[in-house]
Amino acid sequence: MTPPVFYELKSAVVGIAGLGGLGSNVAEALVRMKIGKLILVDFDRVEASNLNRQKYFYDQIGRWKVDATIENLLRIWPEAQLEGHKVRLTPETVQSIFASADVIAECFDRADQKQMIVETVLSKMPDKVIVSVSGLAGWGASNEIVTRPINNRLILVGDSVSGTGPGIPMTAARVGVAAYHQANAIVEVLMDLKHGQLSRGAQ
Amino acid sequence: MSWTLKINGTPQTFEPSEQPATLADLLKQLQMDKAAVVAEVDGQVVPREHFAQTVLRDGQSIELIRFVGGG
Repeated sequence: MTPPVFYELKSAVVGIAGLGGLGSNVAEALVRMKIGKLILVDFDRVEASNLNRQKYFYDQIGRWKVDATIENLLRIWPEAQLEGHKVRLTPETVQSIFASADVIAECFDRADQKQMIVETVLSKMPDKVIVSVSGLAGWGASNEIVTRPINNRLILVGDSVSGTGPGIPMTAARVGVAAYHQANAIVEVLMDLKHGQLSRGAQ
Repeated sequence: MSWTLKINGTPQTFEPSEQPATLADLLKQLQMDKAAVVAEVDGQVVPREHFAQTVLRDGQSIELIRFVGGG
């Protein structure tokens, strides 16, 4: 097996809330970088309509996303440490399921669910960092998707305005741009936490 | 007397007739859906169910993080 990219992140724990277009891509990137352990949470099954942007395969339609994700990630790296939960997250379960996480990735679809988890982490989980996404629908305009720290515990990815709606589809490439911003921000936060510094990324 | 509230880092002036009494009033004025906003007042997160009871004052610093759907 190839060595981890980041030896110092072997013991990191990342929680992934939602395994749709964001979560399925973020999880894959983190496993390829061999980052510690992932806690994967989703209450849904794979549908045909998901395949336009989510990292699943035609023969996985109908399966729980948690099971399909774990199957795919273990094909990349059989020793990956993965913990799956088939539940709908609430303010209570966010706190219990992600208690051991260093960083939480908000990968939900609905705006009110994004609000719920960010509010819960900021107000009730004072030792956690959350990387959230708002504004990734449509296509093109790659450079309008940005990563910006809102405070020292919340990093926001996206263009902040492009919600889904009639005539505004979610597309594989633009969702992927946002998901990889998110995964990249998570690596940066983990490295900052590990080294106890606020400096960010490659200089 | 007019108020200045710093909203997402930008100072905004509110004349007496338009001063929002509460955080919920401010969101209404800004036409923001409270179900999709995380709010901080002077660095403290205000849970969504407390927006209507959170009284605002001149000089406060307010961070409003608005979420749109998609993921």
